[in-house]
Amino acid sequence: MIYVVLFFLGFSLLLYVLLAGADFGAGIVELFSSKENQEITKKTVYRVMGPVWEANHIWIIILIVILWVGFPAYYNILVVHLHIPLTIMLLGVTLRGVAFVFRHYDAYKDKSQVLYDNMFKFSSLVTPIFLGTIFGAMVSGNIMLSEQASFKLVFIDSWLNVFSILVGLFFASLCAFLSATLLIGEAEKGNEKIYIKKSGIAVISVVLIGFITIAYGYFNNIKFVMDFVKNPYAIIAMAISALLLIPLWFSIKNGRRIKSRAFAGMQVVLILFAAIVTHFPYVIIANSKAISILDNTAPESTITNLGVTLIIGALVILPGLFHLLKSFKMIKILEQ
Amino acid sequence: MDNLDAARLQMAITLIFHIVFACIGMVMPFFMVVSHKKWLNTKNPIYKTLTKSWQKGVAIFFVTGAVSGTALSFELGLLWPEFMKHAGPIIGMPFSLEGAAFFVEAIALGFYLYGWDKLPEKFHWFTGVIVGISGVASGILVVSANGWMNAPSGFDYINGEFLNIDPIKALLNPAWFTQALHMTLAAFTATGFAVAGIHAYQIIKKRNVELHKKAFKIAITFGAIAAILQPLSGDLSAKDIAKRQPAKLAAMEAHYETKKGAPLYIGGIVDEEKREVNYKIEIPNALSFLAFGDFDAEVKGLNDFPKDEQPKVATVHYAFQVMVGIGSLLMLAGIIFFISFKKKKWTNKKVYWLFFTLLAPMGFIALEAGWIVTEVGRQPWIIHNIMKTKDAVTPMPGIVYSFYMYVLVYLTLTIAVSWLMARQIKALNETEY
Ligand code: HDD
Ligand code: HEM
Ligand code: HEM
Repeated sequence: MIYVVLFFLGFSLLLYVLLAGADFGAGIVELFSSKENQEITKKTVYRVMGPVWEANHIWIIILIVILWVGFPAYYNILVVHLHIPLTIMLLGVTLRGVAFVFRHYDAYKDKSQVLYDNMFKFSSLVTPIFLGTIFGAMVSGNIMLSEQASFKLVFIDSWLNVFSILVGLFFASLCAFLSATLLIGEAEKGNEKIYIKKSGIAVISVVLIGFITIAYGYFNNIKFVMDFVKNPYAIIAMAISALLLIPLWFSIKNGRRIKSRAFAGMQVVLILFAAIVTHFPYVIIANSKAISILDNTAPESTITNLGVTLIIGALVILPGLFHLLKSFKMIKILEQ
Repeated sequence: MDNLDAARLQMAITLIFHIVFACIGMVMPFFMVVSHKKWLNTKNPIYKTLTKSWQKGVAIFFVTGAVSGTALSFELGLLWPEFMKHAGPIIGMPFSLEGAAFFVEAIALGFYLYGWDKLPEKFHWFTGVIVGISGVASGILVVSANGWMNAPSGFDYINGEFLNIDPIKALLNPAWFTQALHMTLAAFTATGFAVAGIHAYQIIKKRNVELHKKAFKIAITFGAIAAILQPLSGDLSAKDIAKRQPAKLAAMEAHYETKKGAPLYIGGIVDEEKREVNYKIEIPNALSFLAFGDFDAEVKGLNDFPKDEQPKVATVHYAFQVMVGIGSLLMLAGIIFFISFKKKKWTNKKVYWLFFTLLAPMGFIALEAGWIVTEVGRQPWIIHNIMKTKDAVTPMPGIVYSFYMYVLVYLTLTIAVSWLMARQIKALNETEY
């Protein structure tokens, strides 16, 4: 059963990164757009994301519930040591969520829109940066397991370091890339060009920041990176992902919406896979030792229950979610 | 303020905020689908306007409820890591089911909000019903988790370790039913009266009266039925508490001395130093009867509990008085509403509408007061008789700052959402037929 639970953990992580990632990215794309393009982006994003917006963000709740129910000791380390970035990330999620509804449901569209827009755009950038930083901190080797050291060492240096922040920037650019690629296919005729360009810029920043992150880790002897560059599976995954950039580029150029999305999604899958395969099950690398997610799991009876609940939940939810996605796509085609 | 107090206060304000949005997000869909059904049946455009206006309310409250809920699900761990480490595996069941219920709700809401004129009429309406049902289901599940903190079950506690965990037994803990019933009724009471009050005010102002009368009727019907049932369910809760958490009962009633045939105090000023209650109204033997159904039963007083196992009496007692006072008032209001069905001329009087306008915030005040009774009354325990709150708090110092931040953010959000609602109503009044 533990593998069922792990599967769902990975599955919800992947979906959160893909779906919420594309959603964060939409705000980032908007942030880096000219005034007139911002309006277009805003409309398109709402049309595409609106119906599934809520559902996209529930993956993180599923993720966190699986963690605390199934892997309490592991979860405990995260919430104690990464309290500050988690709080900032939550603040971002909160402001972003309310800005998203406010700007579409305010009964009057007046000056207050400017405020909502800015709130939305900036929190769209800050939230994924901190999410990435949290992932980065988990493997950066800076978490001090003893709480006896100074406040700065235990609660700040664990995440406020170059490597973690690079991972944060990497994740944010990945989000922008996902979103720009998604928007190409959704834009109205004549507007695709905007997103083709954005998508290109995003690909370049993903590659560049990714490279800097690995180079920094390598020269600073960060254990995760050292293992990453030596792990054959991780290298193969990264090689495939680099090769796939070529067909991705062509399908973007030729406006192939389904293909370009599939390739973009695959990039994310490969990157996540490479990161996880490097160290699984040691997903926290603290300063003194690496901690396996499989140490101190919840008792058997809990894991069994959780697994069964997840399977039943998935049977109920996934068809509904699929139907939701499908319905609104179909409707859009009929409209055109 | 020390770390523990800051953490408690932060938990309290986030929950106080979340509960308002959660209740509205849970109950409004029911109003919406009733109005929607009337539109489908009568094709009266007023109902369509009303449905669409309520739907915007649902969307705004849903998302605000969802983001504050997301914050909460992290906060449980961020503030109480020791608690979650042990409780997580035991009460994970309601939380994971709750996650599933949220998901269903979010999917159904996606269909509902974006499905106008696109989905088949009946199916579209039905997705609204699912939003309501799954909302109530998630409310019940999370309250069951809270019930477990009051009545821990489904494990053996041996030498400080939680063994033989049975998540299903923990889900169906002895407190879940009374609490979930009372809470669900409270959500309907509070939201019903709040929404009805807002529309009553519009009627006084003579804005779009026909629409607001229809809206008032839908909302108040739900509110009134729930308000009439509420004291009955509250009595069940009190009898339950008397058995399970006698210290909480004693604090609710500010009952210091153990007594046979204990009197019930109404109102009164609690003097925690001298451990007595002044200026109260005393009803002989009533407490024994209410708690145990026997006028002569013995009710254990606070003085007979160890000093470090007594909750703060004044807070709990006042909160309880507020809840019961408002509960009686709302029950009366519910009865008045049903009588006004027969006596139509009451509804022509301004004072009738003024009465319901003034009741608008009462349900929510009672609801928050009720939670204060439950939560403060459980102190010093985070898990009743098993783990103390002070042993569960995070080792990270400086929680005060995060507390200040939450106060600022939630205060701003409250103002923003109220302002948005006011604009919603203004726009509604400008709608022409
Ligand atoms: C509209 C709101 C509302 C109203 C009118 C009432 N209550 Fe209540 N009460 C709640 C809203 C609430 C609540 C906020 O929903 C609580 C907190 C926890 C719970 O399960 O329900 C609660 C808790 C609560 C508890 C403690 C339960 C526990 O700790 O497990 C008792 C004993 C009562 N109530 C009793 C009453 C009585 C005798 C009422 C009679 C008029 C009453 N309540 C009206
Ligand atoms: C939404 C309605 C609720 C309100 C208004 C509320 C209010 C409060 C308050 C006032 C406190 C502080 C008590 C004190 O320290 O003196 C508190 C603490 C707490 N509540 Fe609630 N509560 C609610 C529901 C819940 C639910 C459903 C859960 C769990 C599933 C929960 C879990 C906790 C925890 C873990 C604490 C901190 C530990 C403690 O002080 O005992 N609460 N809440
Ligand atoms: C008595 C207390 C509570 C009740 C009745 C309640 C009820 C609800 C309801 C009905 C929703 C759906 C949102 C909506 O329809 O507006 C919601 C959202 C949420 N609640 Fe609570 N809740 C309570 C306390 C808590 C606590 C203590 C937690 C933390 C563990 C929590 C976590 C969440 C989460 C994560 C969401 C967001 C789900 C989403 O994305 O839709 N809730 N709550």
